[in-house]
Amino acid sequence: MGRKILTVDDSKTIRLIVAKAFKTFDCEVLEGSNGVEGLAVATREKPDIIVLDFTMPIMDGLEMLSKLKADPELKSIPVIMLTAEAGREQVLKIAKLGVRDYLIKPFKEEMIIERVSRVIDLKPRGEAVAKVKQFDDIIRVLVVDDKPAIVDQIRTGLGDTKWKVDGVSAPGQAADFCSQTVPDVVLASLSLANNGGYALFQMLRSASGTKSVPIFGLTVKTDTDQQTRAQQSGFTGVITKPIDFDDLKTRICRTLNLDTSLRYFMNKDGALVMTLPGDFSQSVANEVTMHLRNKITLAVDAGIDKMVIDLSQLTKADITLIKLGLSTIQMCHELELKYSMIGSQAVCLECKNYEETKDWRLVTSYQDALSQLGVKLAAAA
Amino acid sequence: MIEVLEELVKGAVTEVFGTMLSIKTEPDASLKLMGNGNPHVASSVGFIGQITGVVFIYSQETFAKMITARMLGMDPSEIDCEELVNDSMGELGNMVVGHIKSRLCDRGMPCVLTIPSIVRGSHFSIEPTASMTRVAICFRCGDSDQLAIEVLIKKEKELQP
Repeated sequence: MGRKILTVDDSKTIRLIVAKAFKTFDCEVLEGSNGVEGLAVATREKPDIIVLDFTMPIMDGLEMLSKLKADPELKSIPVIMLTAEAGREQVLKIAKLGVRDYLIKPFKEEMIIERVSRVIDLKPRGEAVAKVKQFDDIIRVLVVDDKPAIVDQIRTGLGDTKWKVDGVSAPGQAADFCSQTVPDVVLASLSLANNGGYALFQMLRSASGTKSVPIFGLTVKTDTDQQTRAQQSGFTGVITKPIDFDDLKTRICRTLNLDTSLRYFMNKDGALVMTLPGDFSQSVANEVTMHLRNKITLAVDAGIDKMVIDLSQLTKADITLIKLGLSTIQMCHELELKYSMIGSQAVCLECKNYEETKDWRLVTSYQDALSQLGVKLAAAA
Repeated sequence: MIEVLEELVKGAVTEVFGTMLSIKTEPDASLKLMGNGNPHVASSVGFIGQITGVVFIYSQETFAKMITARMLGMDPSEIDCEELVNDSMGELGNMVVGHIKSRLCDRGMPCVLTIPSIVRGSHFSIEPTASMTRVAICFRCGDSDQLAIEVLIKKEKELQP
């Protein structure tokens, strides 16, 4: 849930400036135009912080502050005082009031964000949205590399997703891009001229809208010095060239906390269908395992009592697959779910050779799997 | 006294316009205070105490609109109500005079500010009474705009530099 910031100022301009400053954060900015209104909003909304003007008509900031401090329910709300008067006497007076901080007008947006951030934890609005994003959503990937071939390669490598890959060749262009559209993730070459990748990292980290955007460094596999330097500089991670796109997708999914379960699970024809991809690997197995229990539980909860385990895209049955298959079957037994397994010819043959899998009754088509589960083919069509 | 006030005004305008609007201001004695018949907006804020007076900030209406848009991160075409321009110009006046007031207080001349007020018109002038001292400075703002500040004060004691 977002934070609540209350701005109390008789100037609509200042209230609008405060609201604009926090627009990119996951928070709600509430307003009051004098101390009386400010107190009413504070009582009703219990904000996380109050940005309070000193000089106001009807009830000034000083009186509102003393009333806040006298109210047991409101006294712990931190207050940042805003004043156009920076004389020594005024500053001392403010300091004695028990405010958390103060800010002298004129001020820049960044200054108020910085002061408020010191007191409450602010998260960019994009971060909150990203948490509920799924693998199938449009994820904006910005690639900053002066070699167009790399941008094309990444675009092709992520071509089986709905992700949108934008490419720019210089840090300045990247900064311009980010000021228009905040990407979900940035891949920046570490070999740009004049340490451009590192300069861009600093630039994006210091801007409020992009300070939480994950930034991966791109460098060749053999350049361990760059990899170490990027890690020490605070990059989210380093992607080495030649790029392993399965690894890249997995790392982006993990970093953005994307729900990847739709890649492997769906409810179809009255059954929970788990489909393992042709590029099945240990990292895919880990991801599937992570979702498995939750997906089966949700399916059972929704009244589904059948599961299809589709291994038809796989070309071999290795120990990783066997372990995953066994744990899936175990869960089906636990929750009394009927299951059926589909395998490619290669998988069917190999499974007969292992003690653990020789009893798996693999079929070779989805229709056969449904028949095995007692689902009528007509219903499946 | 006049020199001190002039320096305070110049410092305040530079600070406020630089910080809030990212506009560079330069005092320019060749500019006139007011009056080519174009609509103007004047923001005034008074100060009362050991030193008493009032500060007027004049600008053409088009520049006032631009200032408002800049403060709010909007396009001037989006500013479609005078009330918002008045509020922004009042706040700008409050900041300029607040800055001056703080320096006056530090020089041992405590005073309090009045709330801002706005005057709009095409032909008007502010006339000081005999007991008031008048300081007027014009500024070139950015490439093509200008601003004028007029300070009228009634001093209770001499300002220390």
